[in-house]
Amino acid sequence: MKLNERSVAHYALSDSPADHTGFLRTWGGPGTAPTPSGTGRRCWFVLKGNLLFSFESRESRAPLSLVVLEGCTVELAEAPVSEEFAFAICFDAPGVRPHLLAADGPAAQEAWVKALSRASFSYMRLVVRELESQLRQARHSLALHRHSSWKAIGSHCKPQAPDRRSPGLENGHSPSKDCSPVDSVEERGSEPAGQGLAEWQGPASLFLDRRQSPAFPETSYFSTLHNWYGQEITELRQRWLRRVWGSRPAREKQDGP
Amino acid sequence: MRYNEKELQALSRQPAELAAELGMRGPKKGSVLKRRLVKLVVNFLFYFRTDEAEVAAVLLERSLLLGRTDGAALSAGFLEDPERKYHFACGSEAQCQEWMGALRRASYEFMRRSLIFYRNEIQKMTGKDPLEQFGISEEARFQLGGLKA
Repeated sequence: MKLNERSVAHYALSDSPADHTGFLRTWGGPGTAPTPSGTGRRCWFVLKGNLLFSFESRESRAPLSLVVLEGCTVELAEAPVSEEFAFAICFDAPGVRPHLLAADGPAAQEAWVKALSRASFSYMRLVVRELESQLRQARHSLALHRHSSWKAIGSHCKPQAPDRRSPGLENGHSPSKDCSPVDSVEERGSEPAGQGLAEWQGPASLFLDRRQSPAFPETSYFSTLHNWYGQEITELRQRWLRRVWGSRPAREKQDGP
Repeated sequence: MRYNEKELQALSRQPAELAAELGMRGPKKGSVLKRRLVKLVVNFLFYFRTDEAEVAAVLLERSLLLGRTDGAALSAGFLEDPERKYHFACGSEAQCQEWMGALRRASYEFMRRSLIFYRNEIQKMTGKDPLEQFGISEEARFQLGGLKA
């Protein structure tokens, strides 16, 4: 079977991160008996991702062997010579003998078994997908939380704007309770040009009243908050501008291109 | 270098991330473009030499991927010899983009970086380490640093 061996060897020697390294006794190799016997051969092993390389020594410039670790399990094993801390890499594939290895001590044995068991690309992919989904959920629930508390206040503070969403639908958040103090503020002193500002100030002071400012513990949510406020500011500004233009004499509008 | 050929052959028969018949030209001088069944499985690209009923493998770690500006061709080279490239001819620009994306993601290094990124983001948002549930939060490979060989 062809393999891009030069690239593989180059990768083995490169400064790409190694996930585990150490000396192990190995019983595989050319010229060895099909059944492991004797004390095995001591080699320097380097685990990079799902690739286990062996070298004659730490200074070797070329790997001796490669074991691709997909579709395998790792188990403790009996070494041909007792008192070895042995383990075996076992594959599902037909006609494949387990790779027998032995560490220098029980701690090393445990560390290698753990590292090799979780070395497969498939395992890594599972974890990444799981985290992707967790992050999506965390972002979603954060957005919903902020959205419901912000919108619930917002919809009651813009008497002229149509309700785009029913606040009651979001997280069972009860809008009337939160907004009643603001309603009275909004209905006073609202000339069209000033209303944009009043709308902006209203909710902010309400946040402070509720001891909940944008800097409240989730400062790490800042980028989300930043985007959220940015959107709200843009919308408010547009609405304000429309009102301002709407109050100007008609001939100015006709001057446009 | 010895390697576990039987296992690699078995791997080539596993479900692929992406598989298609593409035009392919190897890195050797004078090689010609041939139709091959190309299959992406974990961080290996397998291609089947139908005339010889044999499968060949290309490890995709630290590969250098380039797409041609007219869209339907891409090449994969490797750091130790950037001139030695595998060339692929796709059926369309869309297919080419699809393969570029898939090849780029088909590396353990890419997975590792993604994992570290997601872990940090989740930690920032929730204050919790999502790897704790897997019992792997202490593994060196998931830290921002990482061991060198």
